[in-house]
Amino acid sequence: MKKRLSVLMAIGLAASALTACGGNNTSSSPSAPAASSAPSASASQKPSGDPVTLTYAIWDSNQEKGLRTMADEFEDNHPDIKINIEVTGWSEYWTMLEAGATGGSLPDVFWMHSNEIYRYASNGMLLDLSDRIKSSQSVKLENYPEGLNQIYNFQDKQYAIPKDFDTIGLWYNKTMFDAAGVKHPDETWTWDDLYSAAKVLTKDGVYGFLAPLHNQEGYYNFIYQNGGTVITDDKQSGYDDPKTIEALEYYVNFAKEGLSPAVFDDAERAELIKNGKVAMGYFGSWNLSGFTENEYMAKNFDVAVLPKKEKQASIYNGLGHAIAYNTKHPEEAWQFVEFLSSKEGQERQAELGVAISAYNGAADLWISSNKTFNIKAFVDMVDYGVIRPYSNTTAVWEDKVNEALGQAFSGKIPVKEAALNAAKVMNESLSQEK
Amino acid sequence: MSKVVSRRISRQTWSEWSWGWFLIAPTMIGLIVLNIIPIIQTAYLSFFKSGDFGRGNIFVGLDNYRKMFDDVQVWHAVGNTLLYAVLVVPISIALSLIVAVLLNGEIRGKSLYRTIYFIPMVAAPAAVTMVWRWLYNEHFGLINYVLSRIGINAVDWVGNPKVSLISIAIIGIWSVIGYNMVLLLAGLQEIPKDFYEASEIDGASKLRQFFVITLPLLSPTLFFVVVTSVIQAMQVFDVIYMMIDVTSPAYEHTVSLVYLFYNNSFKYSNKGYGSAIVILLLAIIMVITFLQVRGQKKWVNYM
Amino acid sequence: MDTKIRIPRHSMIHVLLVIGAILMILPFFWMLLTSFKSVTESTSMNPFVFFPTQWRWGNYIEVLRQNNFPRLYWNTFAMVVLRVICSIVFSAMAAYAFARLKFPGRGFFFGLVLFQMMVPTQIFIIPQYLMVDSLGMRNTIFALLFPGLVSAFGTFLLRQFFMGLPKELEEAAKLDGCNIGQTFLRIMLPLVRSGMVALGIFTALFAFKDLMWPMIVNTNSDAATLSSALAKIQGAYSVDYPELMAASVLAIIPMLILYIIFQKQFIEGVATSGGKL
Repeated sequence: MKKRLSVLMAIGLAASALTACGGNNTSSSPSAPAASSAPSASASQKPSGDPVTLTYAIWDSNQEKGLRTMADEFEDNHPDIKINIEVTGWSEYWTMLEAGATGGSLPDVFWMHSNEIYRYASNGMLLDLSDRIKSSQSVKLENYPEGLNQIYNFQDKQYAIPKDFDTIGLWYNKTMFDAAGVKHPDETWTWDDLYSAAKVLTKDGVYGFLAPLHNQEGYYNFIYQNGGTVITDDKQSGYDDPKTIEALEYYVNFAKEGLSPAVFDDAERAELIKNGKVAMGYFGSWNLSGFTENEYMAKNFDVAVLPKKEKQASIYNGLGHAIAYNTKHPEEAWQFVEFLSSKEGQERQAELGVAISAYNGAADLWISSNKTFNIKAFVDMVDYGVIRPYSNTTAVWEDKVNEALGQAFSGKIPVKEAALNAAKVMNESLSQEK
Repeated sequence: MSKVVSRRISRQTWSEWSWGWFLIAPTMIGLIVLNIIPIIQTAYLSFFKSGDFGRGNIFVGLDNYRKMFDDVQVWHAVGNTLLYAVLVVPISIALSLIVAVLLNGEIRGKSLYRTIYFIPMVAAPAAVTMVWRWLYNEHFGLINYVLSRIGINAVDWVGNPKVSLISIAIIGIWSVIGYNMVLLLAGLQEIPKDFYEASEIDGASKLRQFFVITLPLLSPTLFFVVVTSVIQAMQVFDVIYMMIDVTSPAYEHTVSLVYLFYNNSFKYSNKGYGSAIVILLLAIIMVITFLQVRGQKKWVNYM
Repeated sequence: MDTKIRIPRHSMIHVLLVIGAILMILPFFWMLLTSFKSVTESTSMNPFVFFPTQWRWGNYIEVLRQNNFPRLYWNTFAMVVLRVICSIVFSAMAAYAFARLKFPGRGFFFGLVLFQMMVPTQIFIIPQYLMVDSLGMRNTIFALLFPGLVSAFGTFLLRQFFMGLPKELEEAAKLDGCNIGQTFLRIMLPLVRSGMVALGIFTALFAFKDLMWPMIVNTNSDAATLSSALAKIQGAYSVDYPELMAASVLAIIPMLILYIIFQKQFIEGVATSGGKL
């Protein structure tokens, strides 16, 4: 052991004088021993031969395997292009992109999200794809839901092409429904059915429904089903709309009457449903792999479309594929994005069960990728899906609204008052948008 | 600190000066490039309405600071951060000092204990969070289970604004004990054994030895532990970030300054405002550290 | 000493230490147990599953299959060793000067050292990324080392250790004809060995646990570290806890072994190294 340390010290001190005391030694300059020894860890990075290497940055490791398969197939048809998939966790992903955008070293191809598109598009970080789409044989925007296209359209230029979408479904515990003799939910269900089922199912420490303080997988859906809105077309808050307030009152009532636990915490929601504490809950399609892997969920649960009020609605959103404005290989990057967005690519993505493909009709192939649940419900809802409300600074006002509405959820103030507060802070925030 | 002794500098002084500069040169150059310049940039940015990706910053003078002083959330965060430090620092140092002194003595299995007490430091953060989440869980957690057995109603340890900061502080204390213990054990090694032998001959009790020998001779290390613990506590972020969502009713009572800075700078892309919050935090820590450096003469015993 | 009194007192101490130890070891134990569970068992709280119903090695096999562990171990090892060497060497040099030498600017420069520690590390990430990027050194071992080239923490720590040493030592060395460099290297440095080992342990640990930096600067999976590669298992939506824990166990075992070796070393170091006055 001792040797180990002295070796360590010897290495470190080799730079300085080590002569015996009394010698007339002038020390040599301090060479930094470690700074110079920096072997490259990535020999594969160097463009030694002809093939061009594209980096493709994504944030969901669940999709890596399927996308790798697709990238391999793409490489087979394009021997001169090599795809390097780089996965970074969700929050690190945005820091990485931000650093890359600031320093001019973005990945060639990467995922885009509705919360972030404005910043990247308005600052010219993304390659304008409009002309390439126009002259492309296989990519036509009319093949994608218009709402998704619009997310990635900034000042009439298309900066990303829809990759997939997600919707919110009503997950329900079949076993509990059968035991209580309640009919399983289907597309005819209304808010009244939801409420009466929740009432019957609330017993023995189990809550009938899960109505947490959550927007996308919670009250947003109710607002739009009731004909209300979160944000108007001229970018004003919709929280002072009576329809919106009515929906929130209905929603908050579940917790008030004890039909739902009071839940504010994101992780707690899944915890409760996976442990049989709630009979029904709203969860997005992205939970599918997690729920399928859970034996309790797989055995007892199924999913249906959301119940309706004035109309049917489900919040939906989707990722897009973007290309860096300064990529060294715009042609090759486009070829890859073109493949990912083509009918073949989108169908392959659905078939492999990677995600619900955005391409019209391709989603049907995705349905057969999961036999455990009735996931057709997620695809059915696209027809009346409502794009997740967004503006240029969505993340800012969403948090403020949640904070304001939280007061009503914890029963401190009436829903109406909380909603009006929410409208106020949201409008303040929106007025500061550039 | 150094006084220039005379106008003519002797060769010996020169040699000491140049050795001094030479020895600190690598560290100082590194620190200035890696850290000090970014800090200055942050301070500079706090006077701007920041554009995206480092472009298009607009000078707004003291606007960010004005906004900050009107922002109740910032004052909540200042209060929470200070309260957290007050809860964590004294308790964690006292506990780790006891553990370190015990494990420095003639205790059987001490190297096993030393390893075990260090383990929270190496455990994966996700594991740490999972365990504490489970312990604190309102419906299924161990703590509430035990309480229910003795007839006490379930407590929402994380979500209840009244207790959440204490719950967070307990995790903070728990996770820092191993760190303090290693430092204090290292400091204890530097105390010459002869001192104890001499005082044992004098018939001093163990407790007296602790106060007369251990504590004074450990004080340089202890000073380090106190200063760094305060700084670390003031920068608390990870645990709160992982346990408390922005939507939680406990958020207002637990949000720390670094959490606010993080949200503003990274989530809301408002780097200018985030920078102002960092500068506020820096100012508070500087005052506290300055007072400690001043106060060290009263209790820290350098030979 | 009266042995009759000692025994009960020691057993009381042991009881307290054991209770503390159980609390401390719980998350590690949890990691180990979770790594053998099924996904369902890992999140099940009702009924609560403490021990896995069967010991599943599959989680380990899956993690080993999906990651290039030799590569990850090597990158991590190189990063940790380089950071430890840099922080010990540079910190010891600066710490000695701050503690024992008088020179103009000492107070100011030491102020800067303290100053660095007061700032949350998040503000350094993007500026340091830009530096590494402009050097063209992304996806290299050097990039991993970069933020750890120097250590304010280490400088402050070792300064405290040097300050605790008696003045007589230097005077004796001076009489022997040692210059300042020799006094530092041959007389003083060996006496702060515990501090250096403690610093080494912390540097290694922090380097090892650092996740944000390697994830952002070394996006290429060949240049990842253990913790950054394993962090990917924590997806945006769902977390496969058993796999995550299996991966974590594989990652921390070398760290734990290292600590066990070094804690013996630094506890026993001084007694034999002439640390007595």
